[in-house]
Amino acid sequence: MSGDFWFDTILGLVLLTLALATVRAQQLAAAVMIFVVFGLILAVAWARLGAADLALAEAAIGAGLTGALLFSALARQAKAESAPVSKSSSRSSWLVLLLSLMLTGILCFSLWWVPLQPEHHLMPLALEHLANSGTEHPVTAVLLNFRAWDTLLELIVLLLALMGARLVSSPMLQTPQRWPLASQWSKRLAPLLILVAFFVLWRGATAPGGAFQAGALLAAAAVVLRLNHQLPPLHWRYGWVRLIVLSGVLAFVVAGIASALLQYQPALLIHWLEWPLWLAKPLILFIELCATLAIGLTLTLLVVGEPEELSS
Amino acid sequence: MNYALAAVLLPLLAALLALGWRRYAAWVSWGGTILSLLCAIVALQQVLSDGPQQMLLGNWPTGLAIRWQLSELTALLLLLTTVIHSLVASYSLTSLRRLQVAADFWPLSSLLQMSLSALWLSTDLFNWYVTLELLGLVAVAMVTLSGNKSVAAALRYLLLSLAGSLCYLLGVALLYGQFGVLDVAELATRMPASESHMTTFALVLMTAGLMLKGALWPLHLWLPAAHAVAPAPVSALLSALVVKGPLFILWMLWSQLATVELSHAAAGFFLFAGSMALLTGGWSALRTPYAKVMVAYSTVAQLGYALLAIGLALRSADPAFQLALWLFIIAHALAKTSAFLAVGEMQHSLGGKRVQMLKGASQTMPVAMFALAVAGGSLIGLPPSGGFLAKWQLLLPLWPEWQLWLWLLVIFLGTLLSAAYVFRLVVLAFDRADPVKPDFAPQLLPQWLALVPALLVWGLAFGSHSFVHWLGG
Repeated sequence: MSGDFWFDTILGLVLLTLALATVRAQQLAAAVMIFVVFGLILAVAWARLGAADLALAEAAIGAGLTGALLFSALARQAKAESAPVSKSSSRSSWLVLLLSLMLTGILCFSLWWVPLQPEHHLMPLALEHLANSGTEHPVTAVLLNFRAWDTLLELIVLLLALMGARLVSSPMLQTPQRWPLASQWSKRLAPLLILVAFFVLWRGATAPGGAFQAGALLAAAAVVLRLNHQLPPLHWRYGWVRLIVLSGVLAFVVAGIASALLQYQPALLIHWLEWPLWLAKPLILFIELCATLAIGLTLTLLVVGEPEELSS
Repeated sequence: MNYALAAVLLPLLAALLALGWRRYAAWVSWGGTILSLLCAIVALQQVLSDGPQQMLLGNWPTGLAIRWQLSELTALLLLLTTVIHSLVASYSLTSLRRLQVAADFWPLSSLLQMSLSALWLSTDLFNWYVTLELLGLVAVAMVTLSGNKSVAAALRYLLLSLAGSLCYLLGVALLYGQFGVLDVAELATRMPASESHMTTFALVLMTAGLMLKGALWPLHLWLPAAHAVAPAPVSALLSALVVKGPLFILWMLWSQLATVELSHAAAGFFLFAGSMALLTGGWSALRTPYAKVMVAYSTVAQLGYALLAIGLALRSADPAFQLALWLFIIAHALAKTSAFLAVGEMQHSLGGKRVQMLKGASQTMPVAMFALAVAGGSLIGLPPSGGFLAKWQLLLPLWPEWQLWLWLLVIFLGTLLSAAYVFRLVVLAFDRADPVKPDFAPQLLPQWLALVPALLVWGLAFGSHSFVHWLGG
């Protein structure tokens, strides 16, 4: 038995234990905390499987942002139940158990049938066309060139999440009093986070990284600053806030229309989302930059947006 | 194809502009819809003259790119979406000032139109997932437009919709792991040849997810609460359009990817689910005391016809069943738009949510009541409405084969139930002895706009020949 084997076994066991602990936790706050740890360990598992992009996304979004969102939701709970306890009747928990067992059965069964090395019909094709995609990293090429339409729609999904959250008025988030240690800490942390965010964005062209991860890091910086009252309120009625939130989708559409016009030939199909070869890299960078800012601000508003900030 | 692309992009641009320029949101969104309506008409015309077209987004080779397909069917569905959205948008222009969050309605409804149009055109399993996700989120956000009272229904809708999405996504992942492609046409060449438990599992998972999202029996329980609590134009959009997207994908999956034996087995289930939807949905519509809930349950029942048509079309090679499916979708969309707009208008003016508020409505709000009755006529299937055309296509091939007479009986019972719940309203409306007094003076223009889709669905009879021709009947 090699060291790798033991590492993976322990990793798997820790994941299972954490998952169980999340479900079984008596207090919601504890459950959320364990869930964040679960996300981090899951990121390690993705890294072990060689999926560095997924590991980064899981750490930034699955563990970091989801955790922050859950905590801000907890903080907005009515003060009456100051220590929210997870309640569930025994009947519904049996139903949940049954459904989960069924799902687990299906997944185990499919593991049996899925070939361990799936036939990647598209992998050679993607690698063959990588040189014409304007980026050297296959994941980025798929996200922003081969299947750019999917990514454009996913950005709209994020926009919709914000629009939906705005419509549901929630009670004020009780931010703590100024706490000297926290505000000093956030002053040191924020520039570092911004630097790392743009590094992750820039690296996305050649290696794992990209707009979603970078946006999540930016959002983390903004949330910490906002919670320490070091950032002014971001009101939805400010034109620039809306412009930045929309900028990801806008950049995509503008780039699509511009490259369609550049390659326009009468009587032929419009080249929708086909970047011209010489312009592909700058266009992808432009889209990624705008998307990073948009994702960062959207996530910030989702986590710390006050009702009067979100309403118009 | 260029015009179809424009019909997808115009509402997206309109939504972005409406979010930026909040003051002109209504006009920008309405203008985008009208322009996309023109584009959809031209797209249909082009398909009819030049035949089906396809477009590989980004011009990458098949497999790498997402493929869009514009056939007679998708062009017709695209046109239906833009027609319904432009009608609802025109209605909302005249009546939405009453709503507090009107400015948020416009970008959301434009995004709804965009995501559904993108869904019709796409032929890619993963892209379908993304459009389904968009459609679900936009629908939930629009349900919350009616304020805090709708949060519970919206949250239930959101959670179930996410569960449905995950089921579908798991199925897509299983298929991708096995075949390594996402394009439906490519999969169709590989999948039926190598049928295994895996593909069956994947198809079952995807079907469960789609049935949950499409509110098909027995996974329909979230629909009445969510559709009834939303503002009238939103209910119209949800009932007429949103539930049709998953239905379309369901049909594409089973007709293209499944083997013959498997699809026969599934057809049995669809027939059963469709019959149950017709009977239980119709019964609940008859029994509920609330007007909007009644219209929402009628959607559950009418989707039963679509399921029946899917089941019969999978079993038999007769193209009439397929034709019936699409005619049902078109007729139901138009009739339901009219019904929800009319009921919403009457609820607003007469006050109250109960069916009883319609007492004497033929006197106090004759135009809206006429719209509701005319739309109800198509839901029952009175000739020569669109509902009748669809039912006729379904019935004709059933007659000669006595083994299928069970479904004849089911359709008959379903028709009786729908006639019962429609006439319940009509009888109340003609009870003029002591009519419910309107709280406000009824506005005439919104009532007439609510009538337009109902007239369109009756007008389908004039175009029946071309519909049959286009849809390959």
